[in-house]
Amino acid sequence: MAYYADIVEIIAPSKAKPGGRVDITVRIKNTYSSSVGIMAGGALEYGVSPWPGISFPDPSANVAGGATYSFTGYFTMPEKKATIHAYSYYYGADGSWHFDDEMTKTIDITEGIESQFGSIEILSYSRR
Amino acid sequence: MGAVYLPSQYGMILVPLANVQVKPGDKLRITCRYSHIGQAENQTLYAAIGNSGWAGFDEVLHGSKTISVPEDSAWDYHEEYVDISITTAISAGFYDLYAKIGGAIPEVISPTLHDVVEVLADIPDSEFGEISITGYIKA
Repeated sequence: MAYYADIVEIIAPSKAKPGGRVDITVRIKNTYSSSVGIMAGGALEYGVSPWPGISFPDPSANVAGGATYSFTGYFTMPEKKATIHAYSYYYGADGSWHFDDEMTKTIDITEGIESQFGSIEILSYSRR
Repeated sequence: MGAVYLPSQYGMILVPLANVQVKPGDKLRITCRYSHIGQAENQTLYAAIGNSGWAGFDEVLHGSKTISVPEDSAWDYHEEYVDISITTAISAGFYDLYAKIGGAIPEVISPTLHDVVEVLADIPDSEFGEISITGYIKA
């Protein structure tokens, strides 16, 4: 259970093409009664160590009491199924960021169809 | 004039095809439609004119270009064209035409259109050889 920064949802596709960019949104709710500095973070688990990070261009925000804020991030889809680990942190009175909550979501890879041609026909031929 | 057999409610019907007349210095533009599914890729669109026979297609002139084939999650049709430059390497007469996608081992080949390209003789530039007076009268 989160103290202040409760991860409500990870919005991400269920499948993605290997090598393609995957955009995600992590929605974090400030469960405190007044504004709190909240930061999002994330990492990708798919069998490599250390886990590659997920980029959040604007990772932190002051979130009003009771409000839910959407943090957008992205990563490059690896060659196999991966699990998103999203983290939330709150800014404490001691001037430090404190880990608060975690949520995961799995993304499968999209099997790309190999390029195939069915037919070709000549529609027209003209002098230029 | 060439022709092609097409299916119809009456069976196969012979549809005559108009031929196109070209001469050296012209370009012949061949517009093709192809069907594709799968990932995007660059491929070669190739077309040739020549003579189709029992041993295959004897190409006389050809043209090619690289086309960007888009990603298609389901079978879809696309149109592209390729130009063949008509040079003096081809003599006057009627020729066959075909197109393909791919290189030495093509991905797909079109049906051959027979006798649809008529190459006209290269008419030389205007020149004058001599002039002589053939008569003179009071006008």
